[in-house]
Amino acid sequence: MAISARRLRRWCGRVIAGVFFPISFLLPTLAHAEDSKPLRIGVPTSVQLQVGRDTLTAVKMAVEEVNKKGGILGRKVEFVSADETENPETGISAIRKLVADEKVDVLIGGYTSGVTLAQLPHISAAKMIYLGVGAASPSITNKVKTDYDNYKYIFRVGPINAAHQARGLVDYISNFVIGELGYKKIAIVGENAKWVQDLVPVLSKGAKEIGAEIKLTELFDTQTSDFSPLLAKVKTSGAQYMIVMVSHGSSDIFAKQWHDAQVPVPYGGIDVKSMDGDFFSRIGGKSISQVAGNFAVRAPLTKKTVPFFDEFKKRSPNYPVYTAYFAYDAVLLYADAVRRAGSFDTDKIIKELEKTKHEGIAGEITFDENHDVQTGKGKTNLVFAQWQDKGERVVIYPKELRTGNFILPPWMKK
Amino acid sequence: MEILIYGAVTSAIYAMLAVGFTLIFGVARVLNLAHGSFYALGAYGTYVGTGILGLPLWQAAVLAIAFVALFGVIVEKVLIRPLRYSQLGVLMITLAVSLVVEQALFLIFGSEYRNVPAFIDTKLSIGGVDVAGQRLLTLLVAVVSIGALYLFIQRTRLGSAILAISQDAEAAKYMGIPSDRIFSLVMAISASLAALAGVLAGPFLSVQPSMHLLPIVKAFAIVIVGGLGSIPGSILAALMLGYAETLVAYLVSTSWTEIVSVLATLLMLVFRPAGFFGKRAAF
Repeated sequence: MAISARRLRRWCGRVIAGVFFPISFLLPTLAHAEDSKPLRIGVPTSVQLQVGRDTLTAVKMAVEEVNKKGGILGRKVEFVSADETENPETGISAIRKLVADEKVDVLIGGYTSGVTLAQLPHISAAKMIYLGVGAASPSITNKVKTDYDNYKYIFRVGPINAAHQARGLVDYISNFVIGELGYKKIAIVGENAKWVQDLVPVLSKGAKEIGAEIKLTELFDTQTSDFSPLLAKVKTSGAQYMIVMVSHGSSDIFAKQWHDAQVPVPYGGIDVKSMDGDFFSRIGGKSISQVAGNFAVRAPLTKKTVPFFDEFKKRSPNYPVYTAYFAYDAVLLYADAVRRAGSFDTDKIIKELEKTKHEGIAGEITFDENHDVQTGKGKTNLVFAQWQDKGERVVIYPKELRTGNFILPPWMKK
Repeated sequence: MEILIYGAVTSAIYAMLAVGFTLIFGVARVLNLAHGSFYALGAYGTYVGTGILGLPLWQAAVLAIAFVALFGVIVEKVLIRPLRYSQLGVLMITLAVSLVVEQALFLIFGSEYRNVPAFIDTKLSIGGVDVAGQRLLTLLVAVVSIGALYLFIQRTRLGSAILAISQDAEAAKYMGIPSDRIFSLVMAISASLAALAGVLAGPFLSVQPSMHLLPIVKAFAIVIVGGLGSIPGSILAALMLGYAETLVAYLVSTSWTEIVSVLATLLMLVFRPAGFFGKRAAF
């Protein structure tokens, strides 16, 4: 039997109406289900390290806080982590796992700059907002300005980038080491890595401009395990103060060998492992009198700092490292941005994130045109804290935040 | 003076590592890539004893060394022995052991550096050079332990058996020397020497899961320079390498020290593949 074209059209019309009409009723319900299902935060970090473990503890604290207030636009918040280690390959797998398998809505994490840089194209391809809380390379956010459409998803909540850190270190040398302690003869020692190679010329130039005499500049391999020749050189160079720059190298052994040989030169600088809350105890107290730049310590930097540190300490054996307070801030400022946007639309949230003015743990958080956290008065800065008796950390610089006086190594006391 | 003292300490640690490594090769023809793991386990064992179980340091150290010796014997009996006639098989299985140990340490203790307390915490001054007491102790113990090992091999019946096997395993077997038992014994000695190095150097060098890599690289370099299987060769090469590294660190830069051992290995393999004291080419 031949079907006329008219009958066929009518038949098709009925089928379409029969199938799609009920679905059109279902659509709002489905959309509602999408809205009411929990918002998932993906946390790529090095879970084997304290920076990673502290990130997770802090995200948990912030998530609980947000949920206590009813979640974000009615959606409960939950989080899931993936181990990115310190290896770029694993870092990329972690992003894939979170995006494809775990179906997260936003990414908050990071630690090693090399890993984050490798992850960037994958984050951009997934069109997912990424709030960095650990890596400091300026290259991470540089692409935001030059290729906005592809990299607008990337924000750095903390730490302040390496260039800002260099400036902070120069300020510390000029205002504190030379200005207050009166030490003009300086040795610069750092691991042989890209960030240190970039930093040394800036530091040497800055230090010379302010009248310091650079007695020795030496870089060591990140695999170095015996620092005694280096420390002996520092001693014989006649330097009065040693500036160190270590991130992936062996801060622990460096401090131990400096202490055991009782090198008569106090030291301080940027020492990432010395930011760990348990650094002092895990090397048997041998970092006594060492000064390490940090972004926050338990001092009233903002009205949130001390309560956060105390609450964190209840949940963890140690005080938090920097990734913890930036991760905590990141969750809260993301929640605020979504609330202000009134929607889960990524572009709208990005626009609101760009306007962020959030009182964080280490200072007020605002972003520059690169989506990079800004530094300056009242914002996140490099705070120099010294390890003192019983592992207490005392802020010695900047002056307005000082919580105690500088001490010399025990063997240098007269 | 500084170069003299620091070079001696570095050489002592290297010698402890290389002597054990070359001993098990000389006797059992086992190229043990897990040798660095014994060093790592010695240091971690002491950390567990003092940091977790709260034992006094010397007890923790003795227990750690005993544990590593036992571990070495088990590895030799269960894993290496069935494959001993295949050089490649031995290489693969010992490499696997070292990776398993590294991953196990990583999973149990995480990737952070751990603190092993020092036996001596004071600083000593020798000729105006400040040296940590622990370093001098390391030097002393290394000299004593290697000396004792030398006497043991030269003066005892068991030592003679070890020598006999190293000279001709087949002939020694026909003479009634129980070669398998000797292999276990040599493995135990080799593992305990590495563990002892870990216990002594742990307080001033790094204690973390991948710490086994550096010793194995150094041990390799030393035995290639000194001659695989030759204990006097290893001691001489350890001294040369220890001093060469210290000299480079002083006169050139600390960032150049790591290249010394690799360069020495390369030059030796090109110009004298048998090493200084080796009777035949190492590979």
